[in-house]
Amino acid sequence: MLKLIQKLVPRSPWIYRLNAGSCNGCDVEMATTALIPRYDVERIGCKYCGSPRHADLVLISGPLNLRVREKVLRVFNEIPHPKVTIGVGACPASGGCFREGYSLEEPVDQYIPLDVIVPGCPPRPQAIIEGVVKALDVWRKRLEEDTCCRF
Amino acid sequence: MLPFLKIMVRNLLQGPSTDPFPFAPAKTPARFRGAAVHDSEKCILCGICRHVCAAGAIQLRAAEDGSGMQFMLWHNSCVYCGMCAHYCPTGALTMSDNWHLSHLGEDKYTFSEDSFVPFGECAQCGARIQPRPNVIVEKLGGRAPDQFLLCPKCKRESLVKHASDTNLSQFREKQ
Repeated sequence: MLKLIQKLVPRSPWIYRLNAGSCNGCDVEMATTALIPRYDVERIGCKYCGSPRHADLVLISGPLNLRVREKVLRVFNEIPHPKVTIGVGACPASGGCFREGYSLEEPVDQYIPLDVIVPGCPPRPQAIIEGVVKALDVWRKRLEEDTCCRF
Repeated sequence: MLPFLKIMVRNLLQGPSTDPFPFAPAKTPARFRGAAVHDSEKCILCGICRHVCAAGAIQLRAAEDGSGMQFMLWHNSCVYCGMCAHYCPTGALTMSDNWHLSHLGEDKYTFSEDSFVPFGECAQCGARIQPRPNVIVEKLGGRAPDQFLLCPKCKRESLVKHASDTNLSQFREKQ
């Protein structure tokens, strides 16, 4: 029974958007990816959810600045394992144009492990979809191996 | 009622407006700025790309043996503004339309545009100078291609020699 669920569950990933001090550019693109029929991420079974406790994939945007760091980590820890983290935009991967700023503590990897990175400032909606598809493969592998994102 | 029917018929004929990506290739606009591509054959190591890079994504590292420079452009830091391609004097940096950049987190520190640009050699004494590819020779060295390929020292000497020769010949003509 569990095996069957594990096989079926990657067909309907629920996505949670986490804004870690982003400039809102990537958030607009993520909303576009989900809501506009032209891109329509729901074709691959995804659904945006409002509660972190229901989420499977996490889309993180922003460089994780000091002011939101504790709050973001609190929300991030509420997301059940095995979660797959997608860093959207240049900021979560490197800090982007805020790199070496006074309000950041880099890299983000020391707080949130990024599984898939979608670079761009902001990335195209299609690029985000590509990242989500890559994250699904990571998630499938995690379910098979029964591992979680903490290393 | 009639406008609605018109829209309905049009939509039925047009089919879905959804972009078929990821099941089929997506359309990319002609002037889309994707990953920057560096051509080491055209690079003259002027460093203007590093100077104008808003995100500090471009690094020029001297090779340990001093034979050239390592050009590195980190796609994860890049904000795809295209300033480097705009200011590149020889067109060595261009913005491609490649947006398939998503990668796994473990590839983060290897995901860069990486190329080695060797230094040029003075045509006379063989000293190390900035690279002199054909693009820049055609653009700047057209008037005196021989002198353009020399190191500063050899160039100064050749200029002085040229000036003294002409002075001498003028002096002889006067006598």
